Amino acid sequence: MSRDMIIDLHPTDEQQMIADSIGGMLADLLPVDRLREESGHGGARERAMWSDIAELGIFGMGVPEADGGAGYGLPEEVIAARELGRVLASPSLLAQIAAVHLAEGEDRTALIAGETRAAFAAPGLGGDLFLYDGEGAGWIVLLDSGASLHRTDAFEWADAHAMDETLGISRTSPSPAPVTRHAIADQISLLISAALSGLAQSATDLAVDYAKQREQFGQPIGSFQAIKHSLADMRVRADAADSQARVAAVSFGLGGNDTSEVAAARWLAGNAAIKNAKASIQVHGGMGFTAECDAHLFLKRAHLLAGLGSSRRAEERRLIA
Amino acid sequence: MRLIEDPELDRFRAECRDWLEDHVPKGPRPPEGLALREYDLAWQRTQYEGGWAGVSWPEEYGGRGLSVLEQLIWHEEYARAGAPPSASMFVALSHAGPTIIVQGSDEQKTKYLPAILKGDENWCQGFSEPGAGSDLASLKTRGVVDGDCLVVTGTKIWTSYAEGANRQELLVRTNPEEPRHRGLTWIVCDMDLPGIDIRPITAMSGVTHFAQVFYDEVRIPLTNVVGEINKGWAIAMTTLGFERGTGTIAHQIELANGVERLIEAARETTDPATNRTLIADDAVAAKLAGLRAEVMALRSLTIASVSRGMREEVPGAEGNIPALYFGELTRRVNGAALEIFGCSALVRDGEHNWPLHYLESFKWAIGGGTSEIRRNVIGERVLDLPRGPRAI
Repeated sequence: MSRDMIIDLHPTDEQQMIADSIGGMLADLLPVDRLREESGHGGARERAMWSDIAELGIFGMGVPEADGGAGYGLPEEVIAARELGRVLASPSLLAQIAAVHLAEGEDRTALIAGETRAAFAAPGLGGDLFLYDGEGAGWIVLLDSGASLHRTDAFEWADAHAMDETLGISRTSPSPAPVTRHAIADQISLLISAALSGLAQSATDLAVDYAKQREQFGQPIGSFQAIKHSLADMRVRADAADSQARVAAVSFGLGGNDTSEVAAARWLAGNAAIKNAKASIQVHGGMGFTAECDAHLFLKRAHLLAGLGSSRRAEERRLIA
Repeated sequence: MRLIEDPELDRFRAECRDWLEDHVPKGPRPPEGLALREYDLAWQRTQYEGGWAGVSWPEEYGGRGLSVLEQLIWHEEYARAGAPPSASMFVALSHAGPTIIVQGSDEQKTKYLPAILKGDENWCQGFSEPGAGSDLASLKTRGVVDGDCLVVTGTKIWTSYAEGANRQELLVRTNPEEPRHRGLTWIVCDMDLPGIDIRPITAMSGVTHFAQVFYDEVRIPLTNVVGEINKGWAIAMTTLGFERGTGTIAHQIELANGVERLIEAARETTDPATNRTLIADDAVAAKLAGLRAEVMALRSLTIASVSRGMREEVPGAEGNIPALYFGELTRRVNGAALEIFGCSALVRDGEHNWPLHYLESFKWAIGGGTSEIRRNVIGERVLDLPRGPRAI
């Protein structure tokens, strides 16, 4: 934001309606516990409801109505991304929103309608390129220093095994030369930040609920300061990430330093998501270490989203440039 | 989530900026004591005469009667102009004044509010005691009704700018039969009453700006009670809520400026071991980048807090979130100077006086509620966690 801006961070009535309708639908259709038994197929339920999600207008949210979109802007996309992050929705839903901004003409129309699908790909080290939940996706949104759209079948993919085993990943080599960073890359990074901040919040909710129920020494563990303070810190980190993502969204393109605002949002959100996921495991104690407790799902997804075309180092370089 | 666009507000901002540019005092500011009080009152008087005192306070008591948005703009421009921190006027402007506006009688408003805005009087606080810090509700200073007076005996501590202060927001126990927070009264104490003794306390930074205050049968008129006798706890909570209001914007901007000063100094300073600038060191750059992200987060949390403030008359428990963030971040930012500049940051006569800022920064995670108490409040009143074991 620039120094003279005045921003109201409270959602407008319409924005609240968007958050409620998307949040409500996702809570019903994509409860986090769906991921417990979906090893390698975590995006299956999202794929099955792709056209329903398209009908809700999520994919074309930031596209003008004249071009077949919903005519909202980046703040509304950020609201949607946050809700997607809360339920650990497949990153391919975010990739679809991103692809809509990178595609043109009929390709874009088909993406908005959900007739074709997109997924994220990002380079690792040593020339590797990884594709996340790419099953059936015709397009990849490649996130390197910039962002670009490619046909999935332009590469030869081999299956790989991710730490986040709820998502299928594939690998190819070599990754194309990075493209120059432009505004759309910042916008996509902001959407990922919003998803991470939603994840940081729902990891907090999970741990808070558990701390209210779980009793030791004859009382709920949430009454002990050691636990309570850890939960309070989780809330503060989630709020910091969320507020920064909202400010970056409202002020985007209005004359401030967008790259720096987004880099801060991404740094804070990655930090909040990973730290909160870790703290949630700790609050859950022995159960938190098991596969049957949902806490680990947040940790694995937090690492995956935080590293998608970004790293703490990369955001720090942008912040100090 | 939207940009507020209003040409009136832009005009208001331009007026603030112009006036501040012409009027912010340029000379050196006394570090402590009565000289500091005089300086702060004179600057308050200048603001009043310029029509800038109490931007959001009611017009009938000398304020401008504008909204929280104009107040926000004023604080932003104030900090950016490098205007003096409110210091010895802080309690009057950000604690007692707002409390009296919400909770005081018409007579009290007429008596106290204009004198604050005109720079005639400054206030201090009398809440904490040697035995009642984080556990404020256990305070023991007694107030006994005798005729038309409350007779106060006991002691208060951590009272900033007590020396020379005109009035004090004082919290005393008026009903010892009632447990804890139910027997307290919030009363205005005139600091020139007989029986008051002030003993200064020097902080670890070397600065003496707070004191312990002793009361020996001090007779305060009952008309000075704000709210009702034995109903002072709710008033005190209102007061502490205002501590986290728009006034913190100046602190937040000053902290952001502090990070920029660190970055600038790291760009200009050469590390003799590598013969490169300090910022060229990846670890230094990473640390400063993280701090920059965190001061941006603090700004955004403050914006979120102000956005809530537009919709509630009295601040809620969420105000502890930016306050906790600020206290912890302030300590990290000021500590970073010592990590980055090493023994060069340990001299007090340097350009930046890092040691003073470093040592003073500890107070932000203690005063007005320790970080631990703030985490308790966030846990219990924001996250709705069960209360921990404590006295009833």
